[in-house]
Amino acid sequence: MDSLRPAPNSDFLVNKKRVRVLGLSFDDAVKIFFGGNALVSVIVLALITYFLFQEGFGFFGQNHRNLLTYRQAGLEYVDYIRTQESAHTALTRYLSDLRLRQFNYATLEKNISPSAANESLVAFDDFAALYGDAVEPLRGLVSELTEQSTAIKTKFLVAEDKRVERQQLTTEGKIAEAAAVKIETVDFALEVKALTGTLPAYKELAAEFAKKLDAALVTAPAMPTPELKNRLERFRQLNSDFIATFPATTRSLETWDYTRAVPWYQAFSAFLFGREWLTASFWQDWYGIVPLFMGSLMVSLVALLLAVPMGVGAAIYVNQIASAAEQRFIKPCIEFISAIPSVVLGFFGIAVLGQLLRWLSQQDALAWVPGFPFSERLNILTAGCLLALIAVPTIFTLAEDALQNVPKAFKEASFALGATRLQTIIKIVVPASLSGIISAVLLGLGRVIGETMVVLLCAGNRIAIPDFTAGLAVVTQPVHTMTGIIAQEMGEVVRGSIHYRALFVVGLGLFFLSLAINFLAQKIVNKYRISIG
Amino acid sequence: MDIKTSFNSSSSGRSIPVTSSPVGPTLIDIDHVDFYYGASQALHDINLKIEEKKVTAFIGPSGCGKSTLLRCLNRMNDLIDGTRVAKGQIKIRGINIYDPSVDVIELRKRVGMVFQKSNPFPKSIYENITYGLRLQGRSNKSDLDAVVEKSLRGAALWDEVKDRLHTSGLGLSGGQQQRLCIARAIAVEPEVILMDEPCSALDPIATVKVEELIQELRTKFTIVIVTHNMQQAARCSDKTAFFYMGKLIEFADTRAIFMNPANAQTEAYVSGRFG
Repeated sequence: MDSLRPAPNSDFLVNKKRVRVLGLSFDDAVKIFFGGNALVSVIVLALITYFLFQEGFGFFGQNHRNLLTYRQAGLEYVDYIRTQESAHTALTRYLSDLRLRQFNYATLEKNISPSAANESLVAFDDFAALYGDAVEPLRGLVSELTEQSTAIKTKFLVAEDKRVERQQLTTEGKIAEAAAVKIETVDFALEVKALTGTLPAYKELAAEFAKKLDAALVTAPAMPTPELKNRLERFRQLNSDFIATFPATTRSLETWDYTRAVPWYQAFSAFLFGREWLTASFWQDWYGIVPLFMGSLMVSLVALLLAVPMGVGAAIYVNQIASAAEQRFIKPCIEFISAIPSVVLGFFGIAVLGQLLRWLSQQDALAWVPGFPFSERLNILTAGCLLALIAVPTIFTLAEDALQNVPKAFKEASFALGATRLQTIIKIVVPASLSGIISAVLLGLGRVIGETMVVLLCAGNRIAIPDFTAGLAVVTQPVHTMTGIIAQEMGEVVRGSIHYRALFVVGLGLFFLSLAINFLAQKIVNKYRISIG
Repeated sequence: MDIKTSFNSSSSGRSIPVTSSPVGPTLIDIDHVDFYYGASQALHDINLKIEEKKVTAFIGPSGCGKSTLLRCLNRMNDLIDGTRVAKGQIKIRGINIYDPSVDVIELRKRVGMVFQKSNPFPKSIYENITYGLRLQGRSNKSDLDAVVEKSLRGAALWDEVKDRLHTSGLGLSGGQQQRLCIARAIAVEPEVILMDEPCSALDPIATVKVEELIQELRTKFTIVIVTHNMQQAARCSDKTAFFYMGKLIEFADTRAIFMNPANAQTEAYVSGRFG
């Protein structure tokens, strides 16, 4: 056989001359082009991460100093007493509520005219006034101390600013001008003594305060119904609980020491577990992420509760039940939702959905729904509904893909065993694609948590932890979110300030949250991917 | 090797089931059926009677309509849009299964199916077998246990899997998976088992096991098997139908089809000259 072949010729092995630019062949150039694009995206991601970290981490040092000043300038000391005052205010609110209940009882149940009802409540009003006024001496002390400690803090901050100014001038080489900057050193020991010197006065005030409260309570008139009686009893209990906290407050004041160091971890824990986000305050700034995180979480939860049944349900319908014509109509419709700019959705939320929900909530027929009626048209529910709209296309598309990937053979086998279409969907198709559906939901969640415009416009932007004691009605409360706060405040902050950096750390938190969600989604898909061989 | 010689020589090996073929009672009566996928006609005037407790093989080249006809017998073609039986009837025990009053779900419980590619559900072996029973609302544990054992024994798989009933069915080998699918089909105690090229994805040893299983099953079930493998048809079946271009060319005892075909096309096909 071999003899029939032509003699071997190795010319073809010699490298052909190809056009080369800068020593690169065309193939090399293409390779470098594609590889270069991949590299650029990796570098950009690395830079973004680096930038976030670099800007964000300075926050913790600054927050530590912030907390230290809070202690050194005696703001912490004053806040002990202030807390006591606010607790008393809460109790007086309880009394106002009790008065309203009595008034309603008199006018609605007993059919007494409003003016007569008011008259009958004179005794209660006297009691409430007596109870409320008992705090006045303490209030006077607090405002006096507030002024003092604010003055210390201001003095200290001005001194810090001057020091920075001098340093700047020195580095610029203007030695003479730098020397001219006057820096007033703050002697905390001396300044704080003025605050702690009031301790004996406070003790006297507190003892008198407790006595006045008890004395006022004796004048409380009798309640007309058992229910109201119970409430008054409850109030008595709250009052004695309140008075029982006095010794602890006194102890805190006695042992308070402005020189006590603030542990470094508090810079982190005050951020991670801080229940207040309070900026540009005359008193003390707090950077606690909890209210923002809870806001984001609640809005996302409401969104998912709505979007998961909608998205997954629609995916099941389109993939398993719908005719080809329906598929051609429904799929583009749902996918089109994601083409709506989120600012337009937010606008729609303010102008239409918020109004509509509030109107609905004020219908008598719907009064049984928890949280209805509500007066804030921008709240968790409104934002959640719109975010659901944003999550639906993501969940729908990915869940539909997952359903599509279920091998047809499973369905056929199920039908051949006498299963109905519904049985096949519930027992075979959905379980087989469950991992895909779960990851679709997770990616929907990632989409929702990162969404900014809608929540900024529609969540109500009240920075407070939602009041969960309201039960399901919690969704009618306004909140602020992690994304919303960055968008809202980033434009107004001074570059490099603690507030600026705090926003970066919130951004870092979002970044890691999204990262974790995406990672989890990927893990689930890979782990439970069905291999059929 | 010539198919005829293989047929003859195999008598020295395993027993041939077609030594005698008395005419049994008809179970499925396919009566002048025309079938369409949309506008294209896939079956032309098929007329065929399938006997009870016999193995009937459908053979023919690819695209001849044998699988289509098989899937007509439990109305699996209903799942494909645009399919219809345009003319004729398919009667099982005298009832036209394409009559609007027929419950397809009930039909498929009576006419089970095993597919070309083994397709156990991504569930445990136990759940695979009990799936059909649970659909019927049976959930008594001891009852289900008994059916699982009986079905797996029936599918000659019990000894291999009895210690791992609660592991995934997808963890079995290809041949075991196919026998699991057979066990799943017989668990609901159908009258007829349709097999669509059940061995085409199996290696020779697994094929032998499935073929032996078919021999055991024929005592209890009526089996209709589609196969590309003519030796398999010759080894396993009592009756053979040869299809070509959507038409039934010849239907007779397997022995007659392979030894003495009446039709020239059949003769050409079984002797390996085309197909």
